[in-house]
Amino acid sequence: MSKKEIVIEPLARVEGHGGIRVVIEGNKISDVEVRILEGPRLFEELVVGKTPEEDLSIVPRICAICNLSHKYAALRGLEKALGVTIPNVTQEYRHLMHNGEIIESHSLHLYFLALPDFLGYDNAVAMADKYGDVVVKALQLKKFGNKIMRMMGGRMIHGENPVLGGFGKLPSKKALIAIKKEAEELLPFAMATIDLLAGLEIPNHIERETQFLCCKPTHEGYDYYGEFFITSDGKEHPVENYKEVIIERTVSHSFAKRGTYNGAPFTVGAIARIILLRDRLTGQAKEACDKLFNERWHRNPLYNNFAQAVEQVFSLESVISIVDKLLESDTPEIAQRTTETGSGTGAVEAPRGTLIHSYKIKDGKTTYADFITPTAMFLDDVEAFIRTGGENLLANNQMENIELKFEMIVRAFDPCISCSAHLVEVVYK
Amino acid sequence: MTTQEKKAAPKPKIGVYGFTGCAGDQLLIIHTEDELLNLFGSVDMQSFVMASSNPIEGELDVAFVEGSVSTDEEEEHILDIRKRAKILVAMGNCAVGGGPQAMYTGDKKYKERLQKVYGDNVKFFIEPVEAKPLDAYVEVDYYLPGCPIDQKQAFALITRLIHGAVPETNPHPVCHECKLNETHCLLLDKKFCLGPLVAGGCDSVCPSHGLPCVGCWGPIEDGNFKEHFKLLESFGMSKKEITRRIKNYGGHKILQYLENL
Repeated sequence: MSKKEIVIEPLARVEGHGGIRVVIEGNKISDVEVRILEGPRLFEELVVGKTPEEDLSIVPRICAICNLSHKYAALRGLEKALGVTIPNVTQEYRHLMHNGEIIESHSLHLYFLALPDFLGYDNAVAMADKYGDVVVKALQLKKFGNKIMRMMGGRMIHGENPVLGGFGKLPSKKALIAIKKEAEELLPFAMATIDLLAGLEIPNHIERETQFLCCKPTHEGYDYYGEFFITSDGKEHPVENYKEVIIERTVSHSFAKRGTYNGAPFTVGAIARIILLRDRLTGQAKEACDKLFNERWHRNPLYNNFAQAVEQVFSLESVISIVDKLLESDTPEIAQRTTETGSGTGAVEAPRGTLIHSYKIKDGKTTYADFITPTAMFLDDVEAFIRTGGENLLANNQMENIELKFEMIVRAFDPCISCSAHLVEVVYK
Repeated sequence: MTTQEKKAAPKPKIGVYGFTGCAGDQLLIIHTEDELLNLFGSVDMQSFVMASSNPIEGELDVAFVEGSVSTDEEEEHILDIRKRAKILVAMGNCAVGGGPQAMYTGDKKYKERLQKVYGDNVKFFIEPVEAKPLDAYVEVDYYLPGCPIDQKQAFALITRLIHGAVPETNPHPVCHECKLNETHCLLLDKKFCLGPLVAGGCDSVCPSHGLPCVGCWGPIEDGNFKEHFKLLESFGMSKKEITRRIKNYGGHKILQYLENL
């Protein structure tokens, strides 16, 4: 029986340094590895012995694209541990910050990392000749997300402005009004993107059933954080129980930390959120979802790109409504801690999926930290989809461009390799 | 009449690489939006894997490398890039000093930390090594510090390099930028600020938000470490505590300044 090994390395247009290895024996795929080629950074150990303020400065450095999601998850965990209760208006400022990151990350991924594949280009700059309008507008949208991140974070990446209990400095009313106006101007482009995507054909060779997980918003609407996880089997789980919900395991050929739910791979990210929470959408986001959503989303991760497009609309609309609320609110005080010892788990929806930060603090110093990143959660599912897709392609003898087809699956998940760098492939002696 | 043949000097061949880190420095280049299209237009982008497929790995005029060397594979890779590049730029705190992952450099407990995160008896398919900056392995021509780099500082250097000019150095501390921005000095409030010891380039972003400098640009050569430590100690913070904090972003580069305190 013939044996063929396909190695795609480096994996382009993803965040961080990774690769894919697929072993084909006859017409079966005998092995799939999505490889994380970055060295371990050991953040869980780096923060031990540090103050919560240092933790908050250090942990966003895990990942640049979703640095504010790391900050946000850390804040939610650390504030629980230290008995900090933030005012509602501070929470609104955090929502604004987080929506900015969703817009920044989704627009980067959708237009610049994923769309070139669907339109047949190496990169987004090369697309500019034929799709100049889309590229220019996409840059504007991304810039807008970055502007909010800079405004709320202090700078675009690794801003120190969000602190325990509040923010170092809050934006002026004038800046907020300008943000709202820009969001209104960008909404038509976000909606036009929905129509652009509606015209794309999504290949069906990779389809298989899977499970989904995301945070359940604490209110009736759609959102990117929660105190419970909601899963596609209809269950809800308190975030504190995350270790019983997401089982991290070690496997002989693969790496130390990978998550499963109910003993099987699962998907997180925009597609999981839309599948589980779409009934909560209103306004143009609902309209966008109705245009794009179909039953195949449950089996095909390429639709994650579509889900991100729907969330772009939702986040732009959210920015508008949040600014309206903030303009009528007083300036909040920075909430103070009430204890120096405690533990807490914070969960948020990073652009690419559920992100968990858990801390133990004793006498003002960190004694334990645990982070589970979205990429750690969905990597098993990525491999499972590559396997299904590869076997179907083999069965139909469609070997042409098989590398690109594998890459597209990985890219659809919008993986964050820096985040998952503690997911190194390992073998046991 | 003879038509003049149109000829232009070849565009410089550029490579942008990411080693172990958060990819934030490459992302800042991608995030320039306005300059990004110009950059792709004015250079011959050979390899920028984070932004484009199908890289070409050959001779380079300038290589920009982000991230620390944290595996044996990355060690080989930086040696290879150095051989191919006329000019090598270390981009960002991880490439310049090793990054946050190098904050415990010299404590000889790397193996222990590795084992705590991954468990016992783990054999990695590529061998991890404790994070080191690029210049631990190869000669670096220019440094772009920062976690992450600053777009203005970065593009000032990139623009000069792609036009064959010599970039300017940035020999001022964060305090200098606070003065230019007329930011209130946090040391007057007895707050733990590392500004006087830290290289500028961030436009004193944290003090401008009322927050102390955490030191993410790494040390400045002529910082008065002895006196600043004394000042911070007078605020009621132990030397051990100050040392721990300044190491968070100090990596390899901070060690020489802490030797004789």
